[in-house]
Amino acid sequence: MILSISFLRALIDHDFMQYALITGLLIGFLAPLIGSFVVIRRLSLIADTLSHFSLAGLAIGLYFIHILGITFIRDPLYLGMLFAVIGSIIIEILRSYYKNYKEISMPIVISLGTALSALFISLSGGFSSSVYNYLFGSILTVGRTFTIIIIAVTAVIVTLTILFFRQMVIISFDEAYARLLGIRVNRFQLVTTIVLALVVSLSIETVGVLLVSSLMIIPVAAAMKVGKSFKNTLFIAIIFSEISVLLGLWLSFEVGLPSGATIVLFNILILLIVALSKKIFAKKSLKVKQSESQI
Amino acid sequence: MRIQLTNLSFGYDYRTVLKDISFKLESGDFLVIIGNNGSGKSTLIKCILGINKVPSKKIYLDDVNINDYKSWINIGYVPQKFDDFNYEFPITVNEILSASRYGKVSEEEKLEWLDRLGILELQNENINNLSGGQLQRVFIVRSLMNKPKLLILDEPTVGVDATNVERFYSTVNDLNRMGVTIILITHDIKSSKANFTHVMHLHQGEATVKKVAPKRGESS
Ligand SMILES: Nc1ncnc2c1ncn2[C@@H]1O[C@H](COP(=O)(O)OP(=O)(O)O)[C@@H](O)[C@H]1O
Ligand SMILES: [Mg+2]
Repeated sequence: MILSISFLRALIDHDFMQYALITGLLIGFLAPLIGSFVVIRRLSLIADTLSHFSLAGLAIGLYFIHILGITFIRDPLYLGMLFAVIGSIIIEILRSYYKNYKEISMPIVISLGTALSALFISLSGGFSSSVYNYLFGSILTVGRTFTIIIIAVTAVIVTLTILFFRQMVIISFDEAYARLLGIRVNRFQLVTTIVLALVVSLSIETVGVLLVSSLMIIPVAAAMKVGKSFKNTLFIAIIFSEISVLLGLWLSFEVGLPSGATIVLFNILILLIVALSKKIFAKKSLKVKQSESQI
Repeated sequence: MRIQLTNLSFGYDYRTVLKDISFKLESGDFLVIIGNNGSGKSTLIKCILGINKVPSKKIYLDDVNINDYKSWINIGYVPQKFDDFNYEFPITVNEILSASRYGKVSEEEKLEWLDRLGILELQNENINNLSGGQLQRVFIVRSLMNKPKLLILDEPTVGVDATNVERFYSTVNDLNRMGVTIILITHDIKSSKANFTHVMHLHQGEATVKKVAPKRGESS
């Protein structure tokens, strides 16, 4: 109790806590929303791939700013976003190039991203606190500009999702049928992947490159085991994700742990609880059925 | 919808599957395609659906060259297998139907189709809990969601029980009577209650098409 009161007081008193909460909740909303479509299309690895490619942009940004003194970029974040988008376009090109081995695109782009990252991190003086933040997230350091960017991106994504919800559903579940309906599947997929890239690069601020994909995938993985319908599953995934963000932020603030780690660990905890309670529940109903059949 | 094929040949890689196929269907015709497994039945309809790309001037839909055809929404299709569909993620029958419906069929009409095919009570069911036959009927209803002028059904009654097969044929016959052109691939042509007007026999890639007198009024 005492701990949560100090958390609430900090929220009221400090800008940085408010920014952290707003961006955390918005990312907590966007990640499973986009993540659901990613999971259905069996592209779970794509978030990891894009976050690694985005890191290359961040590293190049650091190099430009700190070593070359090119400061008009202002924040490596923008290069990170740009690289995530470039990475997503490369993935789509490779996916249509290797039609029967589409997943080949992921390791290629991951390797390129990681290699570029290593190169430019080393060129810009090695492991620094910025690099640490990119890898593991630092939601408590996000500022006003970032918060505004994320609000804008959320507004765009929510609008797109509402406008094209049916098309996105049919493309994700049954691409062949979507083509038959005359939906421009390739165009939609490119846009979805670019949107995904933006969300990934923005999520890096919250949980870091290494944990971005878990933010998108784990709440969805838990929700799809209990959801009754598609919308219901989306809703549950978002609730799970937001609970993890709130608890994770709180724990991160109280104990001084990296926010990315705490948020993801709460996500995993929820997944475990869902899996275990499903198992117990399934066993019980099996017993009931057996005893019924014995009567 | 009118369909015209002229000397269509088609193959995968080096192997020819369809040889020199020509036929013509008018609006309201009902073609049944029979033939052994691997004779090219599914391949043929995939050409008509634009899934298999064919050279220019081989297929005309409503007198439009298939490569320039745009109104795909007028064609309803029930594929042979649903391997293309991503299962396991929760989605209800209604959610699939509304994602496939682009404004032509009203809510009432949708409920009527569900009812006629005997799956009305399943509309809010997660499709992962459905049997193969139930799922098959869901996909039949889906193919009707945009008021097709041409309905293509690839072995649609596989896994469906006898009562529901009857319901299916009565529905298809009624659609046909309303002017919808039907192409149906089936194995059980003898037992089927289809009011077909044409039969195509596919054998080693060659087609023989016969016009038959429709047995109007027999079912429904
Ligand atoms: N996508 C494909 N690529 C290569 N060969 C195919 C493909 N689809 C079908 N075939 C081959 O074409 C032949 C005809 O198949 P199909 O049209 O499915 O027959 P049917 O529907 O009459 O059983 C078969 O020998 C099959 O193996
Ligand atoms: Mg077939």
